[in-house]
Amino acid sequence: MVSYIFRRTLMAIPLLLGITILSFAIIKAAPGGPVAMLMDPKMKASDKEKFEEKYGLNDPIPVQYFKWLGNMAKGDFGESLIKRGTPVSELILNRLPNTLLLMTVSFLLTVLIAIPIGIYSAMRPYSPLDYTFTVGSFLGVATPSFWFGLILIMFFSVTLGWFPTGGVATLNAPFSLWDRIHHLILPAFVLATADLAALTRYTRSSMLDVLKQDYIRTAMSKGFKEKKVVIKHGIRNGMIPIITLFGLMLPSFIGGAAITEKVFSWPGLGQLFIDSAFQRDYPVIMALTVISAVFVVIGNLLADILYAIFDPRIEY
Amino acid sequence: MKKPAWLLMSLMLVLSMFLAACSGGGKTNTTESPKDGTKGTEKEEVKNEGPVQGGDLVIGSTGAPTMFNSLFSNDASSSDIEDMIFSSLMGSDLEFNPVTEGGLAETFEASEDGKEFTIKIVENAKFHDGEPLDADDVVFTYNIPLSPDYDGVRKSYFENIEKVEKIDQYTVKFTLKQVDVQFPVVSLGFGILPEHILKDVPIAEMGEHEFNTKNPIGSGPFKFSEWKDGEYVKVVANDDYFDGRPYLDSVTYKLVPDANAILAQLQAGDIDYYPGIAQPDVPTVEGFADAAGLRLESGLALSYTYLAFNQRDDKFKDKKVRQAITHAIDRKAIVENVMAGLGEVAHVPESPLSWAYNPDVPKFEYDVEKAKKMLEEAGWKPGADGILEKDGKKFSVEVKTNQGNKVREDIVVILQQQLKEVGIEIKPQIVEFSSLIADIDPGVWNFEAIVLGWSLGVDPDPSGIFHTKEIEKGLNFTGYSNPEIDVLMDEQLKELDKNKRKEMIGKIQALLAEDQPYTFLYYPKEFRALPKNLEGYEFHPKDQMYNIEKWWLKPE
Repeated sequence: MVSYIFRRTLMAIPLLLGITILSFAIIKAAPGGPVAMLMDPKMKASDKEKFEEKYGLNDPIPVQYFKWLGNMAKGDFGESLIKRGTPVSELILNRLPNTLLLMTVSFLLTVLIAIPIGIYSAMRPYSPLDYTFTVGSFLGVATPSFWFGLILIMFFSVTLGWFPTGGVATLNAPFSLWDRIHHLILPAFVLATADLAALTRYTRSSMLDVLKQDYIRTAMSKGFKEKKVVIKHGIRNGMIPIITLFGLMLPSFIGGAAITEKVFSWPGLGQLFIDSAFQRDYPVIMALTVISAVFVVIGNLLADILYAIFDPRIEY
Repeated sequence: MKKPAWLLMSLMLVLSMFLAACSGGGKTNTTESPKDGTKGTEKEEVKNEGPVQGGDLVIGSTGAPTMFNSLFSNDASSSDIEDMIFSSLMGSDLEFNPVTEGGLAETFEASEDGKEFTIKIVENAKFHDGEPLDADDVVFTYNIPLSPDYDGVRKSYFENIEKVEKIDQYTVKFTLKQVDVQFPVVSLGFGILPEHILKDVPIAEMGEHEFNTKNPIGSGPFKFSEWKDGEYVKVVANDDYFDGRPYLDSVTYKLVPDANAILAQLQAGDIDYYPGIAQPDVPTVEGFADAAGLRLESGLALSYTYLAFNQRDDKFKDKKVRQAITHAIDRKAIVENVMAGLGEVAHVPESPLSWAYNPDVPKFEYDVEKAKKMLEEAGWKPGADGILEKDGKKFSVEVKTNQGNKVREDIVVILQQQLKEVGIEIKPQIVEFSSLIADIDPGVWNFEAIVLGWSLGVDPDPSGIFHTKEIEKGLNFTGYSNPEIDVLMDEQLKELDKNKRKEMIGKIQALLAEDQPYTFLYYPKEFRALPKNLEGYEFHPKDQMYNIEKWWLKPE
């Protein structure tokens, strides 16, 4: 097991390098650049060159890449090209708590709602309630989050005035826990909706498989209560594939919330990523790409490890 | 946006301003609604109708600022906030003339030859940390962009300065290398920086200094208070402002990344002022304005939208052909139908708002028959399929515009229909914005014809876009060249007599209208939502925060 984890971690290194090379090449190949964002009709070509020279933007791309990689190895993400003088790490650290908060809450919300629904649906397949959940989850998957978010804002915030329209806290108000929670509810709900559907479906089908197994039927035929059998034997085994899913959901912590963050003016990493991409703020884009790539690798690793722990049939 | 800062941003502005056609129009009523009891309690004793102090104004913005130092920043959001924190020597009035009012200059004198400006600054100006502001600070500020170490984006605004001298403690003298009539309005609007704080910072490092982002200190009507990245920037009233304390207690510049979310926040009362309402949203905002305690102000935007021809292309070299194309386009119908009448047909590359606008230029009204005749005279004959041909080549044009701007996308389709009438085939091509900009970059010029918009500066000089010297590296991406206009453009920049200059610019406009390097399509209207009880507001087409120190909220 330990050697397996070690091997997997080693394998992640070339993978990460590959990701950074690809992202670097793609970002640099996109038209425009930070200078175009700073452009002014009166700006002379020589001014642009000066800026590019200072930030090494006109070096050959491989040179830029290795410089960047060298700094990265030292843990230095560089400085933002657009918000000059601000270290990228500072920008990211400012946004990280907001993203973590939103993602954690929506994740918990997803798990707490989806798993019971999935289990119920598996226990009573093709019942009216199962159909309702099925339709509901397809709607959840199919609804674009920017649209759903706006509808919720229009109805609950504007028309009814129950929730704030956006942001993490009320402007110019002292800190209050309730206020923070109040601001969190709608965006967390929107985010949860999309994942909710997927997780419900996974849980349902996984549980259905388990409930068809012989040992469940044996237990039932021995006269145990259905509820007891499901809880004692079903859920434990049915959750194995679901647990791996959690590992795979981890990477979405960075980019998954971008649209929702935009709609709810939630100052998180997703929003930072979109803004930086539009402004061609290369150091920020690269830093976020690397972080999310690391998350992907860790997430996959975690999924495999969890699988190994929870499913005794798996051996390494 | 007080300072001219335009290529990309301006295009973005125009891009974001009108995304789709919409119905309705006109102003919302500005009368107070008596039954609006949601905001505050009624104060009977308010008899005095004069301005009152107090209140926080929440301004919505989809763009986030980058830093607060006008010598280095170049985006509208930063500029909005810089204007509140810093004061500059000169301001500009509603006709875009340079004025001392609202600026640090008490008197402004130009020498006979127009190369020297002597400015006496007010004696009671102080920086927010209590230090007095004097001539040394002005000299210090203007020497930054003159330094060879300066690496900001504003160098060209100061290139013409030979020297800046301190005459006495409150007097400075600018000496120019050559006459430049744009100087007072364009170059004297930059915020004055505190020498006592920045004097030891090497100029090469000033762009990255934390003064710009963490602790900007100016002498403007508002003091920097807090910048929460991605959330808001807050400024509070400066009690010691040399022109008197502003009426508002504070201004919160709220960053809302999504334009639809801004509308919701306006409606819910979370944003008080939003100057960038897109045309298609105007009826929506009109619908809820009254209930949300808002009113709408509108006026012509300082911009125009055009169809530009790549004049390196043989098809467009003949000006008769370009004129014929303009004749074949029903611009009135475009304004009426695509833009729901929220604009005016354009004839020249200058806004009717400008003092230099010349209404008396050659006009090419919608006339299909005339267009056909002119094209025939230019040697284009209808082929078998009805499409014009000359020397075996078909008159087929690819017209590009940017994706996401509904008005422009519609225009390209309308052009396709209308130009078919005269035998020109149009192939619309909708391109992502930044690749479109890359297509018109100097040296690339990968387009036949293009629909885009220009935001205009406060000075009416058109040479940045139409001068021959701007073809190689500048913004004259169509490759238009007319030596007669070049001479006039150079001369008007040296003309000190404003009336004479107006005449010269008028002539340039007439010649440009005659040459039709672009088909000038329309001038759009701009819409801003603000609190019903906001007093002292004046609609300045270029500066959304114009005289913000004079705004006040009338108690309801």
